[in-house]
Amino acid sequence: MASLITCPHCGQRPKEEFTIKGDASLTRPAPDAGPDVWYDYVYLRSNPKGLHKEYWHHSSGCRRWLIVERDTVTHKVHSVTDAALTKLGGAA
Amino acid sequence: MPDFPTSRPVLAGKSARHGKGITLEALPEGHVLQVMGATTSADLRALLDSAGLTGSALRPAGYRQWYAVGDTPLDAQALQAIVTALPPGTYLSDQSHGRVRIRLSGTRATELLSKGTAVDLHDSAFSVGHTATTLFGHISVHLSRTGETEFELTVLRSFAEALYSELEELAA
Repeated sequence: MASLITCPHCGQRPKEEFTIKGDASLTRPAPDAGPDVWYDYVYLRSNPKGLHKEYWHHSSGCRRWLIVERDTVTHKVHSVTDAALTKLGGAA
Repeated sequence: MPDFPTSRPVLAGKSARHGKGITLEALPEGHVLQVMGATTSADLRALLDSAGLTGSALRPAGYRQWYAVGDTPLDAQALQAIVTALPPGTYLSDQSHGRVRIRLSGTRATELLSKGTAVDLHDSAFSVGHTATTLFGHISVHLSRTGETEFELTVLRSFAEALYSELEELAA
């Protein structure tokens, strides 16, 4: 697992300072999308070998939510961005 | 015997420790103000100065977060004056009774801190004035370099004794 994460606010920190929430590429379905779609969204996850895009919380640092793109094969971290700022269209 | 415990500094029972290349001491429980919001260090500094807190240090603590710390306690009136002067969208939380400051100094200070935190403390990466919110062991601390060989750790009050003991142990 990637052991060093470069937080856009705090710099390079060990993974122990972070809490991983999960897949950041999911899109919340419409309220009336139907039980199958919702079941899929809430419970079903694929676990691909390779690239993952996840929400990480810098819980022992700046307490910001980040989006971390990492590779589970090479352990390389491709990008770390601030989730809220990315969503708002601003740079971290 | 009073019915309620009286307020006392949490590290009052701990004596300052002077070891080889290490000095460890609890700082007076003055004021620790946490500020969050859309402002800048320069604006906050100006605000503190105009409130008469020229002696207080202002320390960044992450994206749009700061701690304003000092050795003198603030009364409710002084605190209210600062809160009123804050720009819109900026908020203050008085942490004076919630967080405790510990000073660590000496030539071996960085060596000791390296045992507990992963932050790069070399002069080139963490010069005087730099701050970091990080872990020391499993305890969350706010670390500031206040001098060439002088650091301050701000820690939650309930963790202060544990952290102080740990630092004493590591300084041995």
